[in-house]
Amino acid sequence: MMKNIMTLTFNDLAIAFKNKTIFLIIFIPLFVFFSLKLVDSAPTDIKKIRVGLIQDAIYAPVILQTIVSSDGIFTVSRVSSEEEGKSWVKEKRLDGLLLPAENRENGLILVVLEKGSLQALSIIESFSALQNLVEGKNLNWIADIQSLQQGGIQKQTLPTWILMLVLLVGFIIMPAQVAEEKEKKLLIALLQTPMREVEWLIAKVLSGMVLILTAVIILQVMCQFEIGNIPSYIAFILVGSFCFSSYGIFLGFLCRNQASARTLGVLFYLPHLIPSALSDFSQKLTSIATFLPSYQLYEPIKNILLNDGHISNLSLEWISLLCVGLLTFLFSYLLMKRRWLM
Amino acid sequence: MLIEIHNLTKVYDADRGLQPINLTIETGELVAVIGHNGAGKSTFLKMLASWHLPDSGEVIIDGIDLKNRVAVARKIGFVPEVPNLFEFFSVEYNLKIFARLFQVPFLRIEEILQEFDLGNFRKNRVQILSKGLRQRVSIGRALLADPPILLFDEPTSGLDFDMTKEIYRMIKTFHAAGKTIIFTSHRPEEIKTLATRVIMLHQGNLVFDGPPREYFQSEVYEKLCLL
Repeated sequence: MMKNIMTLTFNDLAIAFKNKTIFLIIFIPLFVFFSLKLVDSAPTDIKKIRVGLIQDAIYAPVILQTIVSSDGIFTVSRVSSEEEGKSWVKEKRLDGLLLPAENRENGLILVVLEKGSLQALSIIESFSALQNLVEGKNLNWIADIQSLQQGGIQKQTLPTWILMLVLLVGFIIMPAQVAEEKEKKLLIALLQTPMREVEWLIAKVLSGMVLILTAVIILQVMCQFEIGNIPSYIAFILVGSFCFSSYGIFLGFLCRNQASARTLGVLFYLPHLIPSALSDFSQKLTSIATFLPSYQLYEPIKNILLNDGHISNLSLEWISLLCVGLLTFLFSYLLMKRRWLM
Repeated sequence: MLIEIHNLTKVYDADRGLQPINLTIETGELVAVIGHNGAGKSTFLKMLASWHLPDSGEVIIDGIDLKNRVAVARKIGFVPEVPNLFEFFSVEYNLKIFARLFQVPFLRIEEILQEFDLGNFRKNRVQILSKGLRQRVSIGRALLADPPILLFDEPTSGLDFDMTKEIYRMIKTFHAAGKTIIFTSHRPEEIKTLATRVIMLHQGNLVFDGPPREYFQSEVYEKLCLL
């Protein structure tokens, strides 16, 4: 009996090795380890907190002197107006904008992207420490915190959920579907008809887009969050669903069977999801995520949902998603023409 | 429907695949492609069916290069050894989707269901059908566009005696209707019963091409097929 169990166990492990499932077992812990390392090391890497001051505004001299003299903690930028400062914060050129509080002499209003973000916390902590040094325990210099992002914490997590849905269809469902059609020789059966390769590909992309749109609509209807600019939001959901459906189909073409497609899907899913979704917590992750198409979807969606962003300011991201979609579509077409692993 | 094959080649590795083959198959011929396992029979047939792309060479179907797949798709019907059907869907759905892609009227589906005695199974999912019934659906699908050329890859493999006889009857009927038929086989009785011409492949090379009577008397048969 034991011999049989051992034989079957080794057989299962051999199958896991053959269909590349074993790579998941190695890859996931490695990936999580490196991601966490990047996130954890982020605060020490942020050498200076970038704060903005309004050029002509009148700040309390003690505060101004403290900020300017604490060169090791803050990098101070002067902005011409409150609007310019806020746009710098939105563009992540500043971690926070300091405005003089009108109702308090030694008071500041801190404008940050998110109230609960690491940037906001580090600014408050630094100010608290500096104030302790200069004045001892006193009324806090930061009198109020303003968040540029709208909505509560639920709305702020919405872009992450949307990204998860899009990537789930793109990297998990689509590759497996394509690989299944290849494995069961269904695709080749369809190619016995006068159907053109490009027709099959377009149909597949459309089916992926429908799945993504359905999931996003259900999420939107159930959560009932207000969307600032609806056309911009739709434009990004459409281009994102096109991009990742096409990407997923391409991955499916690289696999001979469903098991390989599932493995490859996860290998792409996590590196696209985690750096983008955690980009708010780490500058290092942000710098990596910038190169990922998932970030090109996540950032605009976040911008549109939380900061009233508009597609006119996000056209580069929109075009880059379209290009990735078109490029992977072209690769899939070439692989299909060559009957790759069919 | 004339099939011209010029230097058709497909190499998988050193001793597998198909070495350059030149052939002409005339309209209405019933050709048996035979040979041992790995001789290149299925590869040859699958290249004619556009399943595999050749490394080199060309196939001309009635003056049209096979590379122009869309143009010749209605001229060739292929029945693979293992039926590749949408198993979660019904027999009718399977035929409908292909009828749409072949752009043939749905009336043709009724003809096929009747001709292959599938009427009672039309609403059944393919996955619950027996191998023989699946094979009938697969043949029915290949015939949807009424192609003049039919390719069968080991059509009776794994079928019982009655179903084998049924498949032989079908092939004879198609042949009598003027279709050009090419099938791969291991069975001597199949070759004797059906074929008008035998093509034998050995290690990817064409070693015999002639009528069945000559084949069974040939040196190749004695050397390669007799114990």
